[in-house]
Amino acid sequence: MSAMDPTEVFRQEASELFEVLEGALLDLGQRPDDRELVDSAFRALHTIKGSGAMFGFDKVASFTHEFETAFDRVRKGEIKPTQELISVALAAKDYIRALIEDPQSTDDIIGEAILDDLKRFVSADMPAAPVVEIAEASPPSPAESRRAGWHLYLEFESHILRNGSNPLDLLEDLCKLGPCFVVPVTDGVPFLDEMEPEDCYLKWDVKLHAACDKDAIDDVFMFVQDEMKLTLSPLEHVEAPAPAPLLQLLDEEPVIAEVAAPVVEVVAGQPVARAEPQSDAKPEIKREAAAARREEAKQERGIATVRVQAERLDELMDRVGELVIAQARLTQLAASGSDLSIKMIAEEIERLASSLRDTTMGARMVPIGSLFGRFRRLVHDLSRDLSKPVEFVTSGEDTELDKTMIECLADPLVHLIRNAIDHGIEDTATRAANGKTEQGRIELAAVHSGAQVLVTVKDNGGGLNTARIRAKAEEQGLIVAGAVLTDHEIHQFLFHPGFSTAQTISALSGRGVGMDVVKRTIENMRGSIDLSTRPGQGTIVTLRLPLTLAIIEGLLIRVGEGRYIIPLPAVEECVELTAEDERSRGRNFLNVRGNLVPFLRLRELMAASGAPDRHQKTIIISTGETRVGLVADQIIGNHQTVIKSLSKLHSDVTIFSGATILGDGTAALILDVAQLVSLAQSKVEKQHINEAA
Amino acid sequence: MALNPTEPKWSLRLPADCSIAAIRNVYELIREAFGRQERLEIDCSSVEKADVTSIQLLLSTAKTGEAQGRPVVLTSFSQSLRNTLCRAGFASEALIDQHFPQKKDGT
Repeated sequence: MSAMDPTEVFRQEASELFEVLEGALLDLGQRPDDRELVDSAFRALHTIKGSGAMFGFDKVASFTHEFETAFDRVRKGEIKPTQELISVALAAKDYIRALIEDPQSTDDIIGEAILDDLKRFVSADMPAAPVVEIAEASPPSPAESRRAGWHLYLEFESHILRNGSNPLDLLEDLCKLGPCFVVPVTDGVPFLDEMEPEDCYLKWDVKLHAACDKDAIDDVFMFVQDEMKLTLSPLEHVEAPAPAPLLQLLDEEPVIAEVAAPVVEVVAGQPVARAEPQSDAKPEIKREAAAARREEAKQERGIATVRVQAERLDELMDRVGELVIAQARLTQLAASGSDLSIKMIAEEIERLASSLRDTTMGARMVPIGSLFGRFRRLVHDLSRDLSKPVEFVTSGEDTELDKTMIECLADPLVHLIRNAIDHGIEDTATRAANGKTEQGRIELAAVHSGAQVLVTVKDNGGGLNTARIRAKAEEQGLIVAGAVLTDHEIHQFLFHPGFSTAQTISALSGRGVGMDVVKRTIENMRGSIDLSTRPGQGTIVTLRLPLTLAIIEGLLIRVGEGRYIIPLPAVEECVELTAEDERSRGRNFLNVRGNLVPFLRLRELMAASGAPDRHQKTIIISTGETRVGLVADQIIGNHQTVIKSLSKLHSDVTIFSGATILGDGTAALILDVAQLVSLAQSKVEKQHINEAA
Repeated sequence: MALNPTEPKWSLRLPADCSIAAIRNVYELIREAFGRQERLEIDCSSVEKADVTSIQLLLSTAKTGEAQGRPVVLTSFSQSLRNTLCRAGFASEALIDQHFPQKKDGT
């Protein structure tokens, strides 16, 4: 039985609802006539309000109620959501979020100011004469006027109470439509031992004696329609309800004023039997049956999803990691003996462990769309603040990444998108002068590429100013004036700490802090970052990321007595170091099918003792377009590598990204490919300089 | 909320908050009480906050007591609890009696 704190559940639910609300509001800015968006925003607001009240967040409930009321004219279609209104609504959303997550940081005066703004925008184009809604309502059709009312059967999803929805409020709203005869159906209430006290077990059979149309009933349940089964059939004639005289149970006025004794037959002492929905449903109600089927499908989908705390997934992954290590030991032990049955079991366990690893890693995968959604607000706000209209387009939202990667990726992407808008996209006058559309465009995309995910941030701005970057690099003494460098090499200075070409420092950029941090963050995730640009056409920043940070496929090698892991996705090929290559000692270049590839002798790098193996092997690794050879004594083979972090004592060792435990219980260090490549590059550069000297 | 073992029958007074925010605690206490004694009396006079979960828990308690042949006596429904019962459709005394046959209104 889960003992999760209900208020914590509310916070989590609210967090998801804020994303829905923000998404709907931002979309409304683009599609102000989309009723579904308005309804979606309202559903989110309504649920936040209801849940807030239920879990004791009274300020949240009260503020959201005011927000809802002010926004009601949008819902009724009386006014269109303007950009100004959307901005204030977003501020209101932020305020509610703060009320839930950090109430100490909020100030009632700010809340009131936001509500005043909201009301001002909403009432700005208020019609001169108040519209009396009831006068606009179309007269009931003859069929409707003959209708005596409706028979409803209400069955809610079990979790609905945890979401903050209150069926009793809904019954109350229903009773406002006309006299209601409400009968609770209790046969679903389980015995104590089988009960989850926060689940909803009660159902209701309701006869509504009012000539209202179906839409009025749908309105009552609009915020919970995805979480309930509503069976509706018309009452064609007035049934004689013969209500028993109400016992005046309450000292005060009953909330449901016209509730009668049950109309279904009951046996004393027994629970009320479920009253089946009436069978006099007309063909016109068939569409409701179709809706009910959709609801069932939704229910099935709901059951197929379980909310699990992130820490539990982390624990599970740790356990699987330990299992993989133990399995490797078993495999090694089995291989060293001659017992065939042990070998068979070891193989079986290896297969199962591998399958369990994949399943567990799959459970940790999260669609990157959950991250992309956050940037819409960022673009919206920056676009407004910098007066640069920007279209924000995303693709590949379904691409899945390990949840840890998603969390780590947020800050780098914020920085890249800020840069793209602040530096990349030109102001409207410049764009017009260059024959471009007034509105800039930023595309954020994700796509799988082998064992990697490529995330790209593309803008259609002015592109990188290579000359200015070069001038700045020369000014900062990073290169000598007149040094021969490719554009790609010059652009790499953008990742240098403290490097900025911005002429003014703003709140957004210009301090030269950022791109180096972005690069470091991506490399810490064992990823890489590439820049490509076209003057006048824009820039593309590509992040290459591994699918997971927990377990990887690695290539196990031996250098002297030590063993090391190279992440397999970075390995291009393995070649033998020929005698000719050996003779090139000092130059450290390898001829791979006519291409010169620099290589690093790992024996030298790791200060390995003992005599080297006679036939040295070279593993060609790559990041982006750069290839480097690593010379080792032996290539042992593939290895499922459970990544363990290095201790703080080793935090200054950059060429290793972690360690793993091998089958014999010894440790192997995992080589950081990106660092090795840059190490090789710097060696090559030094060699160039020495040769030039 | 307290169990009083000095009385011939064990009595359990429900706390003021029996809403969803506190219902699990109430549930655990009722289960604990069920495990300890033959006869259980639940005093509902202090209930100030009630909702669907409170009603369901009382229904389940009554149902479980009936099934185990150990009737649970519910006493002194507070006004707040009655209001909630009424809102949920348990609008008549007869209907309440039907679901909580061991209810006693005496204090």
